[in-house]
Amino acid sequence: MGAVITLQTAYNTENPIYPKYLIGLGCRDSMILEFSSTIAALILAGKVGSNIASEIGTMRVTEQIDALEIMGVNSASYLILPKMIATLIFNPFLTLIAIIIGIFGGWIAGTLAGVITSENFIYGIQYAFIPYYITYSLIKTVFFAFIITSVSAFQGYFVNGGSLEVGRASTKAVVYSSVLILLFNVILTQLLLS
Amino acid sequence: MIRVIKLNKSFNGKQILENISVTFETGKTNLIIGRSGSGKTVLLKSIVGLHEIESGEIWYEDILFNKLDFAGKKKIRSEMGMLFQGSALFDSLTVEQNVRFPLDMFTDNSLEEKIERVNFCLNRVDIINANSLFPSELSGGMKKRVAIARAIALNPKYLFCDEPNSGLDPITAILIDALIKELTEEYSMTTIVNTHDMNSVMEIGEKIIFISDGVKCWEGNKNEILNSDCETLNDFVFANSLAKKLRALSK
Repeated sequence: MGAVITLQTAYNTENPIYPKYLIGLGCRDSMILEFSSTIAALILAGKVGSNIASEIGTMRVTEQIDALEIMGVNSASYLILPKMIATLIFNPFLTLIAIIIGIFGGWIAGTLAGVITSENFIYGIQYAFIPYYITYSLIKTVFFAFIITSVSAFQGYFVNGGSLEVGRASTKAVVYSSVLILLFNVILTQLLLS
Repeated sequence: MIRVIKLNKSFNGKQILENISVTFETGKTNLIIGRSGSGKTVLLKSIVGLHEIESGEIWYEDILFNKLDFAGKKKIRSEMGMLFQGSALFDSLTVEQNVRFPLDMFTDNSLEEKIERVNFCLNRVDIINANSLFPSELSGGMKKRVAIARAIALNPKYLFCDEPNSGLDPITAILIDALIKELTEEYSMTTIVNTHDMNSVMEIGEKIIFISDGVKCWEGNKNEILNSDCETLNDFVFANSLAKKLRALSK
């Protein structure tokens, strides 16, 4: 993602008035503000969300959840809480990794394609750095992690029927999570950056 | 002993169970029989509290189960074991972990004691050298037996079996029936079995209720079932041509 941002910024800012280091700055801010949190969340909604919905949904239709209930186990808490905690803890780390790898990819692509020098890029990613952007990105990630897990677990937990319904629940989990992520992206941006 | 009094249950306005009253006795295998879709599973799941009932009472000894809160139900549920139609073994756990699961949840025993109990239960149902296998690696009959082992791991007072023979060949089905009957007598449990298998009825039916369209039509035992006056029950019992011929011969 960082590589594409770098190349596209470079090819769209050919005016010599713009300093070249702005390409690095654009790559850094795009990765921190949007791509590492929102795009990664959308990808995770597809991967993790469908996984959670289908796993819990299958447990529902094969009566494994009933078996938990009959043993006196609070099935919702037992099945969903660990997943919720795991995503809330680990998604921020994934976001940080995505930021680092994205910027690194931008540097590699930019220098290899010859659209920016290594010095310019490194100067750009250091220029006018606002640490709060990282906090903003991590706050968004935590919200998105909660949305992915809760929506997907809900869809899986209340599935009724058989394998067809599990598939539908899985699809709904991804679609609803993605829409909510995009909606909350707007709301959180307005609340945190205004 | 479990007593059900005037139990009513409906889904989306459709009455599934109507005024069911029955007493399930301790130390006996109590059978609920009926055609597919007659309401057997709904009755069983209502008795164990997996379905909320509209009206009626469910008594476990002298405790009104359906009015208990979550904590109260949890206490009774620690005395229940249930065998589900599809076994309902946890896919991600091995056989040993599946049987150990209720022990992990409800006991403070050491790991060695739990494993000892797991092995005892697995031996009791003739599952040997399968502790590390996953449910996907087991046959249908083995899954049922592991599910029974899990159900008896906590020495339950109440055992519920939802169509324990479904999908099994006749010989394995009889073995499972015999195992349920043996365990019921050995641990003096109150066992309720849902079935539409007439072999099971004749093998282990110490007390039988017949349900048709959500209504209890008949109550008796395996010796009385062949001489019933209930037409719907006779249609059910003598459904296949062999049974019809035998009935005609006996007359």
